[in-house]
Amino acid sequence: MIRLVRACFLLVSLLAAPCALAQIVIVAGARSPLPDLTPEQAEQFYLGRAHTLPDGSVVTLADLPTGAVRDQFYQQLTRKNANQIRAHWSRMVFTGRALPPQQAESVAQLRLWLAAQPNLIGYMPAAEADGRVRVLLRLP
Amino acid sequence: MSLMRQLRRKAATILLALAVAPAHAETDAPASPPRFELSGFGTLGAVTTDDKDVWFTRYGVNFPGTKDPDFSPDTLVGVQGSLRLTPYNDITLQGLVREDGDASQDPQLTLAFFRQTLAPGLSMRLGRVRVPFFMLSDSLYVNYANPWVRPPVEVYGLNPFNDLDGIDFIYNGRLGAFDIEIHPYYGGGRIPFPQGKARLKEVFGVNLGLSRGDFSLHLGHGEGTFTLERGDTLFLAVSNILQLTGQGGVIADLSGTHGRTRFDSVGVQWDDGSWQLIGEFARRKTNRYVVSAHGWYLSLGRRFGPVMPYVVVAHQTLDEQFAEARLPPGRLAAAWNLFQVSRNNAQRSVTLGARWELAAYAAVKAEVTQARPDDDAWGSYAPRGDAQTTRIGGRTLNTFSLSLDLSF
Repeated sequence: MIRLVRACFLLVSLLAAPCALAQIVIVAGARSPLPDLTPEQAEQFYLGRAHTLPDGSVVTLADLPTGAVRDQFYQQLTRKNANQIRAHWSRMVFTGRALPPQQAESVAQLRLWLAAQPNLIGYMPAAEADGRVRVLLRLP
Repeated sequence: MSLMRQLRRKAATILLALAVAPAHAETDAPASPPRFELSGFGTLGAVTTDDKDVWFTRYGVNFPGTKDPDFSPDTLVGVQGSLRLTPYNDITLQGLVREDGDASQDPQLTLAFFRQTLAPGLSMRLGRVRVPFFMLSDSLYVNYANPWVRPPVEVYGLNPFNDLDGIDFIYNGRLGAFDIEIHPYYGGGRIPFPQGKARLKEVFGVNLGLSRGDFSLHLGHGEGTFTLERGDTLFLAVSNILQLTGQGGVIADLSGTHGRTRFDSVGVQWDDGSWQLIGEFARRKTNRYVVSAHGWYLSLGRRFGPVMPYVVVAHQTLDEQFAEARLPPGRLAAAWNLFQVSRNNAQRSVTLGARWELAAYAAVKAEVTQARPDDDAWGSYAPRGDAQTTRIGGRTLNTFSLSLDLSF
């Protein structure tokens, strides 16, 4: 009986695993000169309140398409849910305060962009951050 | 039509034409400067009142409607294009189509600026931006970004100006545990209204924003000179009366080119993802032409998944009329009284509403407002029929608003 319970528990755990939240990392291209970011710096960039580092170098932003990874990223970094973030960025863009992040169609396209633009940063699940990108910040 | 107006119309028309052209599309090519961004926002909104002898009106924003329900107070579409020239500068144009205070639906150029990053956290914009007198002024028409159908008229009706042609600086930095934004600006603007024009000139102001986590605070001050040249029938009649009664000097307080004004505002926002609290106090002080008044609102909302019901309490109070005259009782005094009452927007209101996130970047909102204009005011209403015989002040008026907001 105990074995059966354990087996059921293992099965449920395995089924639930793909739904569990994966760690998300903020990345740049592998040859990017950008330094590691603090959570505060990354939050300022992704709220559109800053677009330069203290040394004056410009940081441009990339987004992933609307979906679970994007929602989780903003929730963890800015503590704002998807509706709050959409309203926030609408205000930032249409008041002319910030240019919107470039939206990649996929992680693969994001990697291409990161390789071509040294000052571009993006985010992706940690498992997809391979040797073509450099991790600037790991979200909790 | 002035050359400037023709040029503005032309530029706005070109921008809107760009919006429907298939020239812009996301590609696999890595985006690097120069890069063009195209985006837009829009609202389809209908408004009706339960008493059919008045129109709901946003003074300075729309012209009282001719159809019920009225689509003119909130319906609009805006298209924005930004061209990033280098990592340090860009050009942004925004065109907006909506009804203005002159009942015109010509495209308007609402943003047209060149931005330069001057230092880390500091940027300069040169050209046309939005007048940022109050906390939400520069996103007044981006209804998707606001929780309500429209920002409360008791506060946002205090400033009818939209455009600021000039220069501003925006600095973002840290102050201890707070994110700070300092936003000084200088410039002028104009608004059309029936048989008249108003100009804002030599306006200087500064806004201060502090935010930490779910909380943000706004402080704003702006002041400058303004002109208001009236030509409407009631003004001309009142001017004649004043001349005939030997009070011609009062006319200089009703219409002219020597006004001074100042705007002050304090606003707070708290939004933890579930509860949303927004409050603001704003004051307009003038020396002539329009009343001095102050207003405030308090809004509380609670999110239940995609739906957020909210309640808003708002109040605008007259501080000072802009002119005084002594007229014998009867028709002459009635005309003078009507002139002043029709330019007083003081009222109190309670609004119950709900916002539903229909889809990503689409929201439906519905709200019912019970408003009571002060006894000597029209509040945010205008008579449908004879202004002399339609009493608005002191009545309780129910207004229903329904809107669909998009951001794309």
